[in-house]
Amino acid sequence: MHSRKSILWMFLAAALLALPSSAMAQKVEGHVGKLNGHVDAGKQLYFRYCWGCHGFRGDGNGENAPYLNILPRNFVSATFKCRSTPTGTLPTDEDVFNAITRGFYTTYMPSWTALTHQQRADLVVFIKTLSTRWTKEKAGEPVKVPAEPALTTDGIKRGKELFAKLECWKCHGQEGRGDGPSAATLTDSNDQPIRPYNFAAGTRFKCGETNQDLYKIFMTGLDGTPMPSYGEQIKPEEAWDLVHYLRTLQVTHNSAELALWQGTKEGAEIVKAAKITGTPTGSGIKQ
Amino acid sequence: MLQEVLKLKKHRVAAAAFIAVYGWLFLSIAVPSASALPIPKGNVHAIPAFARKYGMPCSSCHEAWPKLSPFGQQFKDNGYQMGNEKDAPIYQNPSYWPVSFRITPHWHRESVDHADITNPLPTGATTEGRLTTHGFDVGGLDILTAGTLAKNISFLLVPAAENDGSFHFEAANVRFSNLLGSSWLNIKAGKFELDNIISEKRILGLSNNGGFYQMYHFQPVGEDTAMFTFGLGDNQFGAELSGHSKNDYTRFSAALLSSNDGTENLPNGHGYDTFVTLSQAFEAGSLGLQRVGAFAYVGRAPTYTVGGELGTDGLGQKSFYRAGFNGLWYIKKFDVMTQYLHGLDNALLGTATPSYNPLPAGAHSPTWNAGLIEPHYNLNPQFILIGRYELIRMSRQALDTNAGNLGDIDAGTVGFRYYPFISSRAGFAFHNEFSVVRQRGVSTSGRDLTSSSVFLGLDFIF
Amino acid sequence: MKGKALTVLLAATVVLFVAGREPARGRPSANDGPAPGTAVVKGIAKFEGSRPAPTHINMNADPSCAKLHPGGLVSEDVLASPEGGLQNVVVFVSEGLGDRTFDPPPQPVTMEQKGCVYAPHIVSLRANQELDIVNNDATTHNIHPAPSNNREWNKAQAPGTRVDATFAREEIAIPLKCNIHPWMRSYIAVFKHPFFAVTDKAGNFELKNLPPGDYTIEAWHEKLGKSIQKISVSAGGTKELEFVFKSTAGH
Ligand SMILES: [Cu+2]
Repeated sequence: MHSRKSILWMFLAAALLALPSSAMAQKVEGHVGKLNGHVDAGKQLYFRYCWGCHGFRGDGNGENAPYLNILPRNFVSATFKCRSTPTGTLPTDEDVFNAITRGFYTTYMPSWTALTHQQRADLVVFIKTLSTRWTKEKAGEPVKVPAEPALTTDGIKRGKELFAKLECWKCHGQEGRGDGPSAATLTDSNDQPIRPYNFAAGTRFKCGETNQDLYKIFMTGLDGTPMPSYGEQIKPEEAWDLVHYLRTLQVTHNSAELALWQGTKEGAEIVKAAKITGTPTGSGIKQ
Repeated sequence: MLQEVLKLKKHRVAAAAFIAVYGWLFLSIAVPSASALPIPKGNVHAIPAFARKYGMPCSSCHEAWPKLSPFGQQFKDNGYQMGNEKDAPIYQNPSYWPVSFRITPHWHRESVDHADITNPLPTGATTEGRLTTHGFDVGGLDILTAGTLAKNISFLLVPAAENDGSFHFEAANVRFSNLLGSSWLNIKAGKFELDNIISEKRILGLSNNGGFYQMYHFQPVGEDTAMFTFGLGDNQFGAELSGHSKNDYTRFSAALLSSNDGTENLPNGHGYDTFVTLSQAFEAGSLGLQRVGAFAYVGRAPTYTVGGELGTDGLGQKSFYRAGFNGLWYIKKFDVMTQYLHGLDNALLGTATPSYNPLPAGAHSPTWNAGLIEPHYNLNPQFILIGRYELIRMSRQALDTNAGNLGDIDAGTVGFRYYPFISSRAGFAFHNEFSVVRQRGVSTSGRDLTSSSVFLGLDFIF
Repeated sequence: MKGKALTVLLAATVVLFVAGREPARGRPSANDGPAPGTAVVKGIAKFEGSRPAPTHINMNADPSCAKLHPGGLVSEDVLASPEGGLQNVVVFVSEGLGDRTFDPPPQPVTMEQKGCVYAPHIVSLRANQELDIVNNDATTHNIHPAPSNNREWNKAQAPGTRVDATFAREEIAIPLKCNIHPWMRSYIAVFKHPFFAVTDKAGNFELKNLPPGDYTIEAWHEKLGKSIQKISVSAGGTKELEFVFKSTAGH
């Protein structure tokens, strides 16, 4: 009995030694929390759910790509909009997982919460096999999101100044309606026209719903789109001011920021002017 | 990726083989024969208009169409919406038209043991024998229109034509979804399918014997099915309140329905039925999403009509119920649907006695138990093996004089569906099925009645 | 080991020294370290055919840019001298160096944004060589390279600030744009060796310090495409080349 056990241990040790040399070198892994993604399972899911838009090769050139005005993600070029990592770097596995879970607001990418967490993790790993970037490069170091400071009117005002100083309005417009002077000429990296986010009509963002998500959006940039990273341009406390101000531009979305802003004389006037009245309601039309 | 290409090639070879087999069938079967048996209504709801609208392959919403995947169920529960502000018609290409068609040309063979073949004999003595019919047929043209009218307002309209050319709506309903911004509050009104997690409208059987669930239509022997017809699988008139968690893992529905089994113009109607369901899904590691649920239908049906004529007011309403629980179990590519149902009909209904008459001596409310187990093996989105076994056992007969097992049913189905291609535009499947049903003691002479179906068909949907 | 440490120290000193002074404008010199050879390839890029009508740039989207160009501005797509010399052609060795490797020079290359125009219009540099991008405008720009062989990124750049970048792999050439000012477009040519040049106003170029051997010399223009010539040079020899670009009809 004892000798059999030791032989087993020897086998195991030999296997462990042999593994890293060649077999593991090419293997893509994916971990989301405690979940370990499996490539084969992910592949089956991909060829059931995803290929119609993202294509057989993952190049975003599926049979429906020609009919979509925001092109499906090209997993071969592996440029991702929603990351917690700096511009130009690969996203973390969690970032890709969250994108699958959340879907992309105003696009044809739905939320995939009907898939189990394990299935979504499996998809993450399979997606990573579609580009050699995942074997050549490491995911970027996630940007640090410091604790959110208390919300103050002064903070919103400082954010408002930053919005002007950083010239966010060039694309997003003075009221955040996505109608700035440069808005009409914007194209994404596929040379497709792209519209800046319309704060006045939106509730969700492409990369999430929370203040943290909003913080990350402009500190990391949305790679593949005209939205640049401001990570090297503003300090964390300024970024939070900007977050609080941007929330007040979402005049159709109830938030603590909007309530506080409307409580001030200046804010109330601005919000009132930004709310367009007399437009058709009930149709769900977003302007 | 080379593997994918090879696989495609393999499929092409398989498709060619199938076409050869079907061609041979066409040539060799030279005896066309009209079907003598009624074909169950089967307006099956797979809606390629949605695939076209969202650019997703059938396999996204259907494990194997028409059977829904959890993602498809979520899409349906969300009011035919993906929820990214792209669902309303104003985002569609103006030429988009939310209409789908389905047609199923097929060859089938129906065989019944101990069928009553008295009539052709000059003696008039009761004679039973095997009755076999076979021939080509079409399953009827289904027209399915469904979509959104605006954000959170959706509709489903299924017009159906009868053999005699008359026309009715198999389904016609409007749904207001996400009321007060909550996925827990959705209201549907009109004529609609009951919220059956194991849906007969998305059944993977097409034959006369296997194209419906026995337990959804079973009524004990001795009832007047002209006056009292009920099926959980039948679309009903009413209003339904339903809700679900964002990920659709938890879902419920409660419906108030007209007591007429979905027949138009309320011929028997001045009662209301209720149907409630509740189900909960949970994740089981790499096995997939599992779901367990429960349902209950409490209804009323008339025991006689004004002037004794059908189609007039139904009176003497008595109650009945169907209740049970079910489960959808996934073990990777293998899945099983299971359901248990308990049924009870009032003794007056069970003995076809008008309520103004006394009950026959020793009459009870008939009760029964039914079970379903339906395994599938979904090799890949293009191929599914189907098996089904259903049993119904009377637990109490309406009359003690009845044999204890009178009306008991055993039904089995095996088949497969092969989808030569999957696209986001249209669907096509080879459907092959064998189904057999045995019911105890219901032949004219009181023997078991066994009927079987062979179905070889081409299932097109666009 | 000791030698390596010394080199690193030396390199670091040079970096510090270079960073301390005004960085050299324009093209990097190829003669850092001992010259790999003595041969020279020089010549001219010429433009033939009818010149495209100059496209005027509409800067209405940003008055702060327009203000700096009172006389208006035309695009820098095709710039040819009256004698036919074609400016902004990237001339480089595309084949023939074998597996020789060259360390990138420590001094950075600078690119300036002034008047909402990139200067120089074509930046050429070495893989992993630092590129300093300066914003001397009163407006915010965003630096958005769209490479096919390097990582895509996109950084905002406020007035008066600097963005440093490097590109890891050879690529000729990476389009660079500013999304806020759609007319702002330039190219960054990234090389893994030092044998490249960008033609001047007269269309002249010169590749120095080539080791003797057979080479393919390629000339690339952002609008007019590329042209290839095969040559062989001996030690100390000089080769004269002429690349001719023809106007592409319909453009
Ligand atoms: Cu700019």
